[in-house]
Amino acid sequence: MTTGAPSSPAAFWEQTEAQLAETPPDVFLERDAFYSQPEWEVYRMRYYSSGGHRLFAWLSVPHGDGPFPALVRMPDYASVHDIIYTSLRHRAVVLNPTYRGQRNSDALVRASYPGLLTEGIDSPQTYTLLGAWADALRAIDVLLAQEQASIGTVALTGAGLGASLALAVAARRSNVAAVAADTPMALGHPAALQPGLGYPLAELDDYLRAHTERRQAVEGTLTLLNSANYATAVKAPVLMSAGRFDRGLCPLPFAEELAAALPDCDLRVYDGAAEGGGHEHAHVRAAWLAERLGIST
Amino acid sequence: MATESDLVSFSTQVTCPDDFDQFWDGVLSELDQIPLDANVSHDPLRSTDAATMFQVTYRSLDGLDIFGWYAVPAVGDGPFPAVLILPGYKSEPALRRDWAAKGVAALSVAVRGKLPSSAQFNPGYPGLLTHGVEDRDTYSYKGVISDCSRGLDFLLSRPEVDSERIYCCGSSQGGGLTLITTGLRHEIKAGVAGYPFLCCYPESMRMLRSYPYDELSCYASAYPDRVDQMLDTLRYFDAVNFAPRIQCPMVVGIAMEDEVCPPETSYAAYRLLNRQRELWLFPNSGHGNAHGYPARENAWLQQRIGVSPA
Repeated sequence: MTTGAPSSPAAFWEQTEAQLAETPPDVFLERDAFYSQPEWEVYRMRYYSSGGHRLFAWLSVPHGDGPFPALVRMPDYASVHDIIYTSLRHRAVVLNPTYRGQRNSDALVRASYPGLLTEGIDSPQTYTLLGAWADALRAIDVLLAQEQASIGTVALTGAGLGASLALAVAARRSNVAAVAADTPMALGHPAALQPGLGYPLAELDDYLRAHTERRQAVEGTLTLLNSANYATAVKAPVLMSAGRFDRGLCPLPFAEELAAALPDCDLRVYDGAAEGGGHEHAHVRAAWLAERLGIST
Repeated sequence: MATESDLVSFSTQVTCPDDFDQFWDGVLSELDQIPLDANVSHDPLRSTDAATMFQVTYRSLDGLDIFGWYAVPAVGDGPFPAVLILPGYKSEPALRRDWAAKGVAALSVAVRGKLPSSAQFNPGYPGLLTHGVEDRDTYSYKGVISDCSRGLDFLLSRPEVDSERIYCCGSSQGGGLTLITTGLRHEIKAGVAGYPFLCCYPESMRMLRSYPYDELSCYASAYPDRVDQMLDTLRYFDAVNFAPRIQCPMVVGIAMEDEVCPPETSYAAYRLLNRQRELWLFPNSGHGNAHGYPARENAWLQQRIGVSPA
């Protein structure tokens, strides 16, 4: 069993991978007749992640012969992760995985919002949210391992926390071909600890106002999650969006620094807040992902 | 993308049941018999110099305890005007310290099924929209709407709240619930309903292939023999049947490329408003993401409430 607080981002990833390697995923797939459609099948997927957390994911598989391109939509900072509804589900396998604490993955820990962002944050050993990174890695591994559909090109997408998770997975898994990351959460960046931000980042300042003496410990934990730490390892092309007035997820200085650190990043900045590019970028993202996945729209 | 012409030419097949008012009068009477049993707990972690935060629970239909985040101005003695903020389908209820900083109390309600109000009733997402839809008395939204109405009762019970100055707002499901709650409860003085969900169910479930409305389509596919029954139930919970009963100024905000709540169906609710009404159309915008919508909602409510922009 791999234990102890990781002392650096490299040690964190090493420990995370080792803990996953110690945990057989034990994947269980169950067809959901209620939500399956004539054009695609919907499955409820369950598997283990590190720490014995049994996780849930929605899996959508188009009819026909594979291999299919696949899109993984990483979960945001919220109790619910959507059932799949992207228009790409007609042509692509789509996976919407959850992380520990979210609805349907909450047998061992139930997250609260707000709350999860600071639960146990004084140490990497106790920080609940840290497990979401292991869960994101586990999601793509079980997607590739499952036998229901043959998988071809893989793209990742996500917003907020989901964008951060997508970038982290792309840094750790060479089979990721593209990442669409909207307003990645600025965890580990000084911009996330400023006073006066909106939620969810405001949770961090709430915590530090109440526990001023713990700032160093909090910063030490969060630095493990700073996307800039692993940005150079992301070899896949990245489409990133940010809102010029975002004060709750992805303050612009962080977005610009992260984009500069990524080897192949197309940063689109919109006159929005936490919604980033909103509807306008949704069209850009869909076309970009379809092209990367080889899907005609 | 919908055009303004599409909005105007749209008509819904939804009709109002003859006993609609009787049904809802009965629900409100039933709620009146349930003690509020409010529990108000100070949350120092989330409080600031401008806003004192409380975690509250109050009792609603079926004896369920409903959770809310309650922000109260930290400066001044009150009584304060108040805003009742109603939640989206799956999103978390927001902590609105910004309202308290402007001198306005704000209650964000987590209706049943939503964390942390899910201990006794938890049909899930997806799931809530079709739970018990076979009958108006078992349908989940009888409780959900009751929880919103009880949120108003909570505000009315508070000594720090000016009961003559209570307002209501929300987006998506929160927009639909704003129309519904304001139609039921005339103590509310004005409201803003953004991208309203819960409008024109028969058309909405056919016009789009996105959730949550697609839950109804899946139900119809799974139980074709129950479709008429489902649609009959939904007439009691359709915002278009509450809209004519609203007696205060109301804004309806519509994104013209809304891929979740068809713009035509939101407009159908707007068109049925009798009193002062205002329509905000957001071209090139989708569900819940029109740039500038939150600022416009805040500004409109602030003007109604009579507080200065922060």
